[in-house]
Amino acid sequence: MASERQIAANRRNARKSTGPRSGAGKKRASRNAYRYGLTLNITSAAFAKQLDKLVREIAGDSKDAIVLERARAIAQAELDLARVRRAKVSLIERACAFGELDPPQAFSTVTQIKRFFNALDRGKLILPKPSDSSATMPSQEPDRSAEAVRRVLPDLRKLERYERRSAARRDRAALDIVDRIKPGNNL
Amino acid sequence: MRRNELALLPKLPLLITESADEFDALRDAFKQEIKPRGIIEQMYVHDICAIVWEILRLRRCKVIIINSAFRSALQNLLKQLLRLPGQYEYQVEGEAEALAHSWFTDQEAKKQVSEILSRFDLDESAIEAEAIRRSSSDLELLDRMLTSLESRRDKALGCVAQYRASLAHQLRENSDRIIDGKGLLQLEDAASERPTAA
Repeated sequence: MASERQIAANRRNARKSTGPRSGAGKKRASRNAYRYGLTLNITSAAFAKQLDKLVREIAGDSKDAIVLERARAIAQAELDLARVRRAKVSLIERACAFGELDPPQAFSTVTQIKRFFNALDRGKLILPKPSDSSATMPSQEPDRSAEAVRRVLPDLRKLERYERRSAARRDRAALDIVDRIKPGNNL
Repeated sequence: MRRNELALLPKLPLLITESADEFDALRDAFKQEIKPRGIIEQMYVHDICAIVWEILRLRRCKVIIINSAFRSALQNLLKQLLRLPGQYEYQVEGEAEALAHSWFTDQEAKKQVSEILSRFDLDESAIEAEAIRRSSSDLELLDRMLTSLESRRDKALGCVAQYRASLAHQLRENSDRIIDGKGLLQLEDAASERPTAA
């Protein structure tokens, strides 16, 4: 249990952690949710149909509004989990095919930039060849897939946070729904 | 699993190189063990299988990452061991590279490396240690992900147990209520049938 002093210190520190302050920082943070797009609600007809089917299966014949709401939360979390898993596999497959997720940069080192400008000063336009990341990938399986996983590890780690959140939402809703079980309801 | 429940749950996406049959076998094994009842328990089993599958995938990667760092690890180690006092590393680089390259295929080179290692009281475990050291940042990230997945798997297993316990408790209470209700009705019926003094 935190003491009064600790609570006061926590509050003081929390007031300092108010997110980005500069305009550029705020702009960047405002786009955080678009990085993977996994916090967005999908509203396609096929998704809505799948969601409804799952809700009906979870809630059974119940007309109880709370049961239906909790069933919807479970179904939504389950489909979110599936979406994150698809994203993970898709990232690995992409890295397997191209060697990396982002397109190769024209300049990968400061030396290359210096060389480019020195040549430009001499009136020559010499662009370095873009690096081909797929060339550095192992040609054989399972080494190639393992290398792809290694290259996208930081992204996989970030995606896992979404997975954890979805699983936690599903777990809470699943326990809530049990409390609402009425005789004859087959969950 | 009931056919419609199976169809309702989203299929786990696999890598092209992964076997769907192996995943089905894993899921069947978990179903045998947990014996899920109802869609929510099916969801948990599905989740546990997906997590275990990912754990296996990452464990495979871990081994391959260490193995693929072996050549550069051996090369680095040889550069250090072959260098004489007063010599620079680049002076032995060629020899180290050639020896590290042939170590994988040539028994003679393997013997030579063992001799060099033994001169410094080292053995082949020194190569493995260097390979682990060189890929430590990736291995650390992998380990964190594995720990996180293992804790999620344990939590999901705990959730099945908790869900079952809550469901059992709730059903017991409901059935008690029904029995009590019926008992009350029977007593009321008996009381109404009993002849009264009036």
